[in-house]
Amino acid sequence: MTAANRSSILSAANLHKHYHMGGQDLHVLRGVDLSITPGQWLAIVGASGSGKSTLLHLLGGLDRPDQGDILYQGQNLRSFSTAKLDHYRNRDVGFVFQSYHLLPELTALENVLISAMIGWGIFKWTGPKKALRQRAIELLERVGLGQRLTHKPSKLSGGERQRVAIARALINTPALLLADEPTGNLDVDTGQQILEIFKSLRAEGQTIVMVTHDPRVAAMADYRLTLDHGKVKTS
Amino acid sequence: MYKLLLILRYLRRKLAPMFAVLAVMLCTAMVIVVIGVMGGFLEMMRQSVRTLSGDVTIISDVTGFPHYDDLITELKKLPEVQAAAPLIRSYGMINITGKVVLVEVQGINPAQMDEVTNFSGTIHWKNKHASDELSRFRLNEHVDVEKYAADMQPPSKGWNKPANRRGMITGIEVNPWETRDDDGNYHFDRSPVGIDARVTVMPLDPETGNLLATGPAVQTLTVVNEFKSGLYEIDSKRIYLPFDVLQKMLAMEPQDIADENLRPTGEKTPARASEIVIRLKEGANLETSAQKIRETLMRFSLMRRDMPATAALTWEQRHGQFLGAVEKEKGLLVVLFAFISLVAVVMIGVIFYMIVLEKTRDIGTLRSLGASRMGVASIFLGYGLAIGLIGTVLGVALAASIVWNINEIQELLFKLFGFKMWDPRVYYFDRIPARLDQTEVTIIAITAVLCSVVGSIIPAWLAARLDPIEALRYE
Repeated sequence: MTAANRSSILSAANLHKHYHMGGQDLHVLRGVDLSITPGQWLAIVGASGSGKSTLLHLLGGLDRPDQGDILYQGQNLRSFSTAKLDHYRNRDVGFVFQSYHLLPELTALENVLISAMIGWGIFKWTGPKKALRQRAIELLERVGLGQRLTHKPSKLSGGERQRVAIARALINTPALLLADEPTGNLDVDTGQQILEIFKSLRAEGQTIVMVTHDPRVAAMADYRLTLDHGKVKTS
Repeated sequence: MYKLLLILRYLRRKLAPMFAVLAVMLCTAMVIVVIGVMGGFLEMMRQSVRTLSGDVTIISDVTGFPHYDDLITELKKLPEVQAAAPLIRSYGMINITGKVVLVEVQGINPAQMDEVTNFSGTIHWKNKHASDELSRFRLNEHVDVEKYAADMQPPSKGWNKPANRRGMITGIEVNPWETRDDDGNYHFDRSPVGIDARVTVMPLDPETGNLLATGPAVQTLTVVNEFKSGLYEIDSKRIYLPFDVLQKMLAMEPQDIADENLRPTGEKTPARASEIVIRLKEGANLETSAQKIRETLMRFSLMRRDMPATAALTWEQRHGQFLGAVEKEKGLLVVLFAFISLVAVVMIGVIFYMIVLEKTRDIGTLRSLGASRMGVASIFLGYGLAIGLIGTVLGVALAASIVWNINEIQELLFKLFGFKMWDPRVYYFDRIPARLDQTEVTIIAITAVLCSVVGSIIPAWLAARLDPIEALRYE
């Protein structure tokens, strides 16, 4: 373990990932290394197909690398059991997607709470229920949706949906906030509002890893990591 | 907790779960109604057979056996025996208003028979209306029709019959002219009550079993009433004669014993009956009581050299083949309908698969939020359970409302479309005999819920093994 790894919250070394599509072998990541320290905002940039989202999915425990290691607070994700990886995604990571991925049957408040519910069994839920509900309301108020608690996603605008998704990602106070093109589906003004939220989160010490292809968005991050054909591009 | 929340929310959405609930509901209701009707039919037949034949019957061949009165006295000493009555069963013909019908002829003493079976309960014409009708159609004075059934004796005055004329009671379907209306009701003006009919029976030699040299015995009797057991096979083929009349006709009453030169010795053979029907006390065990009766019968027979072979059969043994056939039919129908109900399982599988396809992105979202594969599978299994429970509860309610009102539904269908499911002229009973058995309904309900869960297993498994990244990208 290097000194960099010891101080980082998340690091990756020599990550490789292949996909088989249409009878072809796609080598999407070709030996990616990175290190993120607590409170850092890292932007992963690159052209479409450069492997940005794949890297984010590996860091978030949604997939496993074919080769290489990911260390989270000193623990290798490769050694995690399926259950531990599920727990990692639930408690240590918060995802924000380009397409929001809210559950259409649930209200804004329930969409935020569902992430907390997943972490608690049906019988244990009654204990923290009140506190978590209060936290969900506060998070929605913080992103400006205090008046939209009972609205379903279909009744919300794109920007509002993304704000619900951010609140959902934060409900379990994760150490890492992973965002995949969070402004990709939004107009410039609305996108700016979302980025302001990320900025304020960064100011509070939240570690953020954001995938974007927009240089203006990437410019707001502390550091940028450029991927080119599955490799980190050194500038 | 999230699983419960999602199950409840998925239940409230659109048409797919409604179709699944409908499939479970209809299949559950269908099986319960079939079992209810077939079970009611069987139960009614069992009741009818039992009330007509008593609990245990001592039988011999058609020539009968002697000392039946002494045997009845012995049987009544058993603590399990409530009552016993002698009966003569033979076969013959009845010539009724010019039509000859082959019938089973039974000789009974109505009062004694009533202690053993529900004989008086089967007498058809016994209400005031029938008495009034009888008075109007047959007599110039008011009479009590039921009294003549109990006495098996026609009124000598009003009906203008000879003083020694005896009466008989015929099955309500024996008279070929008596037809039911479309509603299955009989009308007194078509009944043979008050009409004379000739009964022919074959007296047999108890030693050889051959027809006596005197030939067939013929006697004219007046129909004093009709009986209706509810079993067509009996109502169309049985007539009751007074015990002593049939005994005499069949030469089963005490006969003079002649010597070698055919001169009377002054001694007589004992009177014979062909059966003794026995009613057990309330709560007495059928099999053990029958065994005790058999032991008594064996002791009784061993002490009398002229007793032929006899046997004591329970009502289930006597009618086992007949009832067994209906039981088999019931079983067959249940199996057939259970197979049809598999359609519901497949339908739930298909509906759930479509829901899984539609919810693919949501599944990806849940996995990204930390939901386990098992958690995702549980949502769909729980969804199947919920659909099963709702469908089953509605199905049981629907079945109960159909079973309890099946005759009213039939009448409504008849009024609306002229369609009659149950023709009382064809079947054993006037009304569709249906009943709900708690145990059967419980078993069907549990099976239906299990089937719903089984139907959701494959879609739940498919949902669980979805790759979260591909699910998130699913369009």
